[in-house]
Amino acid sequence: MRRTLSILLSNPLSVIGLLLVGTVVFSAIFADFIAPFPSHRGAVVDFSNFNQPPHWPNIFGTDLVGRDLFSRILYAYRISLMLGVVVLAIAVPIGVTVGLAAGYLGGWVDFVLMRLTDVFLSIPPLVLAMSVMGVLEPTLTNGMLAVTTMWWPWYARLAYNVTRSESQEGYVLAAEIIGASRLHIMFREILPNCVPSIVTKMTLDLGFVILIASSLSFLGLGVQAPTPDLGSMVAEGGNYLPDSWWLTVFPSLAILIAVFGFNLLGDALRQVLGADQ
Amino acid sequence: MSDPILSLRDLKLGFKTYEGLVEVLHGISLRIGRGEKVALVGESGSGKSVTARIILGLLQELKAARISGAIHFDGADLEKLSRRERQALRGTRMSMIFQDPTSSLNPVFPIHVQFHEVLRRMDRNLTQKQGMQRAISLLTDVSIPEPERVLQAYAFQLSGGMNQRVMIAMALANEPSLLIADEPGTALDVTVQAQTLHLMRDLVVRKGTSVLFISHNLGVVREFADRVYVIYKGRIVEHGPTDTLFSKPLHPYTKALMAAVPRITGGGIPDIAENSEAFLDPMIDHEVEVPA
Repeated sequence: MRRTLSILLSNPLSVIGLLLVGTVVFSAIFADFIAPFPSHRGAVVDFSNFNQPPHWPNIFGTDLVGRDLFSRILYAYRISLMLGVVVLAIAVPIGVTVGLAAGYLGGWVDFVLMRLTDVFLSIPPLVLAMSVMGVLEPTLTNGMLAVTTMWWPWYARLAYNVTRSESQEGYVLAAEIIGASRLHIMFREILPNCVPSIVTKMTLDLGFVILIASSLSFLGLGVQAPTPDLGSMVAEGGNYLPDSWWLTVFPSLAILIAVFGFNLLGDALRQVLGADQ
Repeated sequence: MSDPILSLRDLKLGFKTYEGLVEVLHGISLRIGRGEKVALVGESGSGKSVTARIILGLLQELKAARISGAIHFDGADLEKLSRRERQALRGTRMSMIFQDPTSSLNPVFPIHVQFHEVLRRMDRNLTQKQGMQRAISLLTDVSIPEPERVLQAYAFQLSGGMNQRVMIAMALANEPSLLIADEPGTALDVTVQAQTLHLMRDLVVRKGTSVLFISHNLGVVREFADRVYVIYKGRIVEHGPTDTLFSKPLHPYTKALMAAVPRITGGGIPDIAENSEAFLDPMIDHEVEVPA
């Protein structure tokens, strides 16, 4: 653990990644305390102060109904992160189980599961998510569902590949020979060896899930008003470019920081965990 | 003849391929008495390891494998057992040691965790503490200094020789009646290999474990085994007590195999494929009495 940390800190890019992710997570968790106008996360209207460029105390300016943009971005982070965590918390176990089963059991299990995975992978992710959202009502829960349906196949494929190569290792045969059950071999022998690659991908993906979720709400298929969401803020502000630039620029920067941060951190983790093996 | 721990009778194995059935074993018969150390010797691809896998019941689950013949383990017909029953035998009443001990241990768990899993096969309610104590005494049996420290280590932190001892201790942990050693320690250097083999021999003799020793190394076999089966292209070509077989090999293949051992006095190594037609001569069985 200490070694991992020291490797992370020795690379300036990883430090930047850690700082960015730290900032995002911190502001999402403590939004209630940091936000100058916590009530502006909801349906608040202040027409005396609408569409104002950045000024004190609205450092990022105000939106079309006079709400503080900075406060709304902090709350949007909270929703994006929650969405990312929930999506991964559902998609990863499903995908990994599918990949492990297909990779280790082989035969028709492999064929059925991986072809099913291919079907999901063959549809462009955003289109798949959009169609799910189109059929269902556009709510936060359904947004998570939509993103989850397009996300698990990637983990199935990752786990499948790692499992296929790990199955050739001596310890798997050794476990078979001492009479370990298939479930034991899949989850207690092979899975722990897949953890580094899965964790790395999860960190990288947290950024991408946020991006995809923002894209969905940019298209009006994600989180609905008045809940603050980075994607819908950008979409809304886009109509008022270039005059009211702050409406678009700050939420976009917020997305950039989150995705960039998780990417850097994921890359750093890949190096650290890869070096461990 | 009294009842052996393992007997194979006319064991045949074929693999179904796109070009039809490829027969790999053409009728192997062998038996191992209780407490006996029997070697199966042959070159690469002669069918040694598949024989071991059939005995362990691992190939039976493969769809492409066609197995016929009788396999009796401790009086029970292995072919009549279900997958689960065969699985229950492995690691408890039969066990195996491999070529490369380091890769046979899972790299992400310390040794004691893996030991505990092996021991729990016999006693579901084994506590962490009891398991540790058993593991320590088992590791002491294989002359590991500081067993407590080794148990906390990961396989990649230990030397090959250490891992081999750990593997031997694990394989014998549940006191199996049959131990299959598939070219044990081939991945190790010669002195370490000799050390661990001596250790293993003393241990199986003390515990009365029967051993099927699979190897291509004649020197090692001569030291270790009571009886030897020589296998060539899926057939047993010669069988006899170790001393007889080494002092007067009769089958052309056995002779060629022995001549192929490099000697310090020099003299070229004969081309083993030279008169290979004679290698398919019928089997020669030296007179032997299989002990009970």
